Amino acid sequence: MTQTTSSTASHAVSEIDTSSRCALSFLIFASLLWLVTGGVLALLNLVQVHSPDFLADCFLFTHGRLQAMQETSLVYGWAGNAGIAVALWLLSRLGGSALRGTNYLVIGALFWNIGVKLGVYGIAFGDMTSFSLLQMPDYVQPLMLVAYAFMAAPGVLAWTGRRNDSTFATQWYAIAALFLFPWFFSAAQFMLLFVPVRGTLQSVVSAWYAQNLFSLWMAPLAIAALYYLVPKIRGKVMPNYDFAIYGFWSLIIFGTWMGGRHLIGGPVPAWIPTVAFGAAILVLFHHIIVFLNMRGIGSSGGGVVLKFAKYGFYAYLLGAIIDAVFASRGLAMITQFTFFQNAQWQLALASFSLIMFATLNYMVPRLSGAAWPSAGLVRGHYLATILGYAVLIISLGIAGWQQGTALNDSAISFETVAAQYRPWLLVASAAQALLLVGNFALLVNFVRILFVRTSESSSSQFRQPANLEASSS
Amino acid sequence: MKNGPLFFLGLFFALTLSWAGLALGTHAQLGELQPHYDDLEGKAFPQRAPGIASRGQLVYQDLGCASCHTQQVRRPSYGADQARGWGDRQSVARDYVHQKRPMIGNSRLGPDLANYGLRAEAAGQTKADLLATLYNGTQGMPAYRFLFEEREIVGERSNNALQGVAVAGHELVPTERAETLAAYLLSLKQTYQYPEARPYAPDENQEGAH
Repeated sequence: MTQTTSSTASHAVSEIDTSSRCALSFLIFASLLWLVTGGVLALLNLVQVHSPDFLADCFLFTHGRLQAMQETSLVYGWAGNAGIAVALWLLSRLGGSALRGTNYLVIGALFWNIGVKLGVYGIAFGDMTSFSLLQMPDYVQPLMLVAYAFMAAPGVLAWTGRRNDSTFATQWYAIAALFLFPWFFSAAQFMLLFVPVRGTLQSVVSAWYAQNLFSLWMAPLAIAALYYLVPKIRGKVMPNYDFAIYGFWSLIIFGTWMGGRHLIGGPVPAWIPTVAFGAAILVLFHHIIVFLNMRGIGSSGGGVVLKFAKYGFYAYLLGAIIDAVFASRGLAMITQFTFFQNAQWQLALASFSLIMFATLNYMVPRLSGAAWPSAGLVRGHYLATILGYAVLIISLGIAGWQQGTALNDSAISFETVAAQYRPWLLVASAAQALLLVGNFALLVNFVRILFVRTSESSSSQFRQPANLEASSS
Repeated sequence: MKNGPLFFLGLFFALTLSWAGLALGTHAQLGELQPHYDDLEGKAFPQRAPGIASRGQLVYQDLGCASCHTQQVRRPSYGADQARGWGDRQSVARDYVHQKRPMIGNSRLGPDLANYGLRAEAAGQTKADLLATLYNGTQGMPAYRFLFEEREIVGERSNNALQGVAVAGHELVPTERAETLAAYLLSLKQTYQYPEARPYAPDENQEGAH
């Protein structure tokens, strides 16, 4: 590994962490609140699919509104806050100095969260837009953009003020995500909400935006964290670091073209899904290179951080392969418009969330200068999350496949189709509930660590980092 | 990597390229798309939906109907859309040129609605029938009771009240939102045979005729 990271590795608790403690803790707290809120909404949303009459009399919670509310909570609330917190922490650590501009960060985060809240209320009261993953009402969107600029400012300062001129892979991914988000967010707002383009061009731009949100924002942040955590914990040089730069650019260049894979057979130019299929294949080059560099991730040992990182990374690889395979016309004919797409989205979300959980488990004790108050809650969160995601994704995938094959047989009525997939959705709801329990455990543990008084005894634990990460076994 | 400006330029360029390709490329292809004027019928297709239907589309949007219903028919040889009676031809971009917010959707928990108006017409379903369905729900679709209000009958009955559901002396009246939503759903028709909507079928008999 390069010298960049080893400079800060010698002292685990440093001024770098303590100086940004308050600001980053606020972001993490907000992100966990949204994670739990989004989990509740997602559970209600899933229950409505197997029991359509659930909450049907309440106009705030129609199936469509709940879906928009849960996606907004999870993407802008959970991923937005946690992603920025992790990116800034990584950039300040690798930049070798304390985070500057934390006032901007706090103000930006405050307004960002007000924006998400207004957005969710706006959806509940009937102001949602028609674009998936961009459902927040148009009056909230400009606020989000300005708030984002404030939140990302410390990241830019950490990049420009870095001690070391040469940069590390983590920094490329983190700064690319911070820099590209406002670009495509503002372009999507402009072309879809304020000066809407005509007809089905809206569907193309909306698909482009939704894909960028994952490929150019959530994925780079997760990979940034992996490039930091894995070599640091394993204490080994990455075997193919020389290729890392090609992996980075292939994600940025090809990932953004994949949006059209959901438009196969739709009223848009036929080349759009074809290009998306090609891009989904080419982007696998990125995954291969990251895989080569993360080879040590699968070996045993190494606490809950590495275990979260491992499963998150496997979800990331599996998601990419499934996205590429099911972007082909033959298979999409079955899986298009079904729960299979929900499974693909959950897989993407799982890869991001699991890697964020790994990072939070590593970062929070260092930020607050104390070990997690309850190892039991850490273990509970870990087990519930891994099991919950695995069951959720598999059951949605099976339900989607059944639904797709049945829909393509016109002799089977809608009632029969629904009766076939209903048991799997019950399983998926149980998994969603389990995820909620796990995430609540994380929230409780985090609130408790905020109130732990840093004492000499707890900081002595940092001299043996192994004690810090509660073991999951 | 030491060259900061070049790094940012590269990032900017990569995203601009995909934006230009997908957004501007599609715009170049579809941006000038005009309704098709049929000389024989003396009308342009697609026809503009009446104002009440456009308002109904906003109700469709804000209730999130698109989370369970698509409005896009795939070509007959791709999936069972035609066999399920959702439409005899595939949906094309021209079908949506008049729509402010095309909601082609991405999930089919319920049937496709691109030709709902046409199906209702063929089945002899009236607006009152549709409103009753919205009030009662179906096996897979919840009832949207909040789109209706029950009120005391003062003077004459409203002529749009639902039949036989309210208690004596009361009537159940669809709200304006329900009325516009129903008008919108009944206006959904993709019938005109545009040249680009014909399925590609090499027909050997016709080859000599041209």
